[in-house]
Amino acid sequence: MAVSILVVDDSPIARKMLIRSLPPDWDVEITQASNGFEALAAYRAGKVDVMFLDLTMPDMDGYQVLETLRKEDLNCLVIVVSADVQELAQERVKRLGAISFIRKPITSDGLGEVLRQYGIVV
Amino acid sequence: MTTQEDTDLTEDQRDALQEIANIGMGQAGSSIAKIWGEFVSLSVPRIAHVERCAIPAMLTRLVGDGTVNAVRQAFHGQLRGEVVVAFSGGRGDQLAELMGYDDADSVEEQELLLDVANILVGACLGSVAETLTVDIGFSAPSVMGLDIAPSKLIRPDELMTGRALFLEVRFALEKKSFTSHLIILMPCDEVFVLGSALDKFLTSL
Repeated sequence: MAVSILVVDDSPIARKMLIRSLPPDWDVEITQASNGFEALAAYRAGKVDVMFLDLTMPDMDGYQVLETLRKEDLNCLVIVVSADVQELAQERVKRLGAISFIRKPITSDGLGEVLRQYGIVV
Repeated sequence: MTTQEDTDLTEDQRDALQEIANIGMGQAGSSIAKIWGEFVSLSVPRIAHVERCAIPAMLTRLVGDGTVNAVRQAFHGQLRGEVVVAFSGGRGDQLAELMGYDDADSVEEQELLLDVANILVGACLGSVAETLTVDIGFSAPSVMGLDIAPSKLIRPDELMTGRALFLEVRFALEKKSFTSHLIILMPCDEVFVLGSALDKFLTSL
């Protein structure tokens, strides 16, 4: 069965780069969101198995999405994809429940490695 | 100010530039966070095309009303332009304190401004150039002004170009009221070169 993924980034180019980097043989249904509000709305509207989440976004940023997910006890695997490569940023998002952190610009090798590491793809 | 001109970037090019700048800002933020040992908040990059006469007003809009300490640094090579780094929310001695100086004199404070600006510009622009696969070099940074209003930083008549591209990113410290704005200015004939580099990047996606 297809895995539902949600790609959250304010940049259409960044979403395109991420989607292009997904493993080609991975059976997925892709939904996109351009800020935190849209991400939470998409999450509540349907099933999301894996969320790819940018941090720096207008209106509602990635940290706020993680906090809301945790507060409401919502369940999905969140992989943060961000240009903010400070060690503290990585620590923070992991404390907030993200399983992994991928630095931009994303590559198919980097993404594939994380997905395999967590057994999301084999 | 908001009218579209032939030399302006297209929407796709702007999207691409914003994301590329975002990556550059992340690199710069990480470099400076390591030196300061503090978490640096990053903004969403802002892009605007501005007529020469509107530049002072744009600087105030981006940086704010308060006075700043500012450094400029030119870049050249396959892309040419100028970067302005404006430090607001604190005098130079706050920067000195961040860098671990107990008691910096005014010469040392100016050197710190130049050092920090150089780090931010090198990391940010270096990353942008790398993503776009263009070669650029940097001139030595110089102090533009201390305790000066943002609108006074650039006199419209000192610019050769009629229209310029503004790209602004912001680094802020959470614990202290210290913010630095990095503003890249490119003349309109250079924007054409940037547009071609962005197109090349976009077709590679």
